[in-house]
This record gives sequence, structure tokens and C-alpha cells, in this order.
Amino acid sequence: MHPFDIKTVLLAKHAQHVVLIHFPIALFIIGVLFDFLGQWKKQRLLAAAAYYNLLVAAIATLPVVVTGILAWQWELEGQKLKGILLMHLVMGCASSVLICMVWFIHMRTRRNKEDVLPGYRLPIEALAVVIVALTGHLGGFLSGVNGPG
Amino acid sequence: MRRSVFTAGLGAAFLLGLGALGAGQTSFVASAQQKLETTEVKIDNFTFGPAALTVPVGTIVTWINKDDIPHTVVSTDDSKTLKSKVLDTDEKFSFTFSKAGTYPYFCSIHPKMTGKVIVQ
Repeated sequence: MHPFDIKTVLLAKHAQHVVLIHFPIALFIIGVLFDFLGQWKKQRLLAAAAYYNLLVAAIATLPVVVTGILAWQWELEGQKLKGILLMHLVMGCASSVLICMVWFIHMRTRRNKEDVLPGYRLPIEALAVVIVALTGHLGGFLSGVNGPG
Repeated sequence: MRRSVFTAGLGAAFLLGLGALGAGQTSFVASAQQKLETTEVKIDNFTFGPAALTVPVGTIVTWINKDDIPHTVVSTDDSKTLKSKVLDTDEKFSFTFSKAGTYPYFCSIHPKMTGKVIVQ
């Protein structure tokens, strides 16, 4: 199988989740990094970059959650999950909620035209990064990126 | 007296005969069960081992997951002859192949993991 076989990528019933998941992970982690840097350096430009990264990350979680649930329904026929698969599902949902929550905090501050973002967002962002990283680790483990071939 | 001893003897012989018949049936069933062949396919390190298995009709094939992560055993073709639940570590799935043919299968979580059972 060619690694860039478009037909295989589009028609494989669970492949989309594995591909799409990289977008919210990368955007969110970079968004949080920009936010922390913006807070530290007191730079509005970094804060703006953080906001747009978090916005696109929050949007990107939607297809990821949908394709993840479809993979469960199609490939495993919706059977009761347990172990790593269940943990991945629960942590994936928690990650999506946290990413959207972080974006919402930023969005609300911008909408209210407030200059200072609330300080409580930083521990939420840090927690979200940890949960996202753990979910991604489990996903990588499940997809067999460490396997042969 | 002699008559009753004779009747008792006949009864005992009848019961012994019944017992022997029962034992014979049990051993017949046991030998029939022994004739069913069983084969194991080990799932380890993202591979089915052996990937291709040739067995006679009536063989029970058991897949056992020795990997740290879950796998499934699902028919590649649309027949869906093989369809296991998600197998965690050390869980098993068995199937009796009662018809000759080739049965390709794969792991639906990791589609690059494939195997086949050839039933002759």
C-alpha cells in the first residue's frame, strides 16, 4: 500500500480519525505555548496568535470526535469498550471539552473587550495539554505506530 | 429361594450390562470429541502467527491475543464469517471451520494485520 494513496485514506473507515487528530493536537499545544509566552512577554501579538490557534483547534476537534465515534461504530460495530479503547474514548472527549473550554475563555475575554485574560485559564490550559498528550499517547499505542512495518 | 437368587443374579447382570453400555457410549463420545482438531493462532507484536494456516474441515481455530493492546479477528470479505469482539491481552476467540475454503481475515483496529485460514 502506498503511504499517500488517497483512495485508501478516504475509503478506510477509520483512517480519517488517525489523520485528522494531528491538527487539533498541534494547534492547541502551540496555542497554549503562545498564550504562555504572551503572558510572560506581555505581547498582544502572541496573545492574538494564541487565540487564532485555539479557535482553529476547537473547530478541528469536531471532525475528530465525529470520525472517532464513527470508527467505533463502523469498525467495532459499537460494541462495549473496555481497557485502553475506553480510556482513549473518555480522555478524547475530555480533551475536546477542555480545548473548547480554553477557546471559550479566550473568546469571551475578546468579546467583552477586556484587556486581561483570567489567570485561572493557565492551570486549565496546562491540564488540557497533559490530557491531550495522554490521549494522543494512547491513540498512538492503539494505532500501532510502534508496531512492525 | 433358588428362584429369587436366580432373579437377583439376572438383575445384577442386566445392571452391569447397562453400565458397560453407558461406559461404551461415553468412550465413543469422548473419542468423537478427540477427533476434532484444534489449532491456535497467536496474535503478537501486530502480527497473526501463523499468518496463513491450513487445516482440515472441522478444525477449531483459536486466536489468542498476546499483545499489550486490543485486536480483533474479522473476515476481510463481506461474508463476515469471522467476527470477534475486541480481544484484550490473553483473551481468546474460537471458530469451527465446518466448510472447505479460504477465509481471509484482518484486525479491524489495525487493518495492516492480515491472515488467512485455508480449510481443506
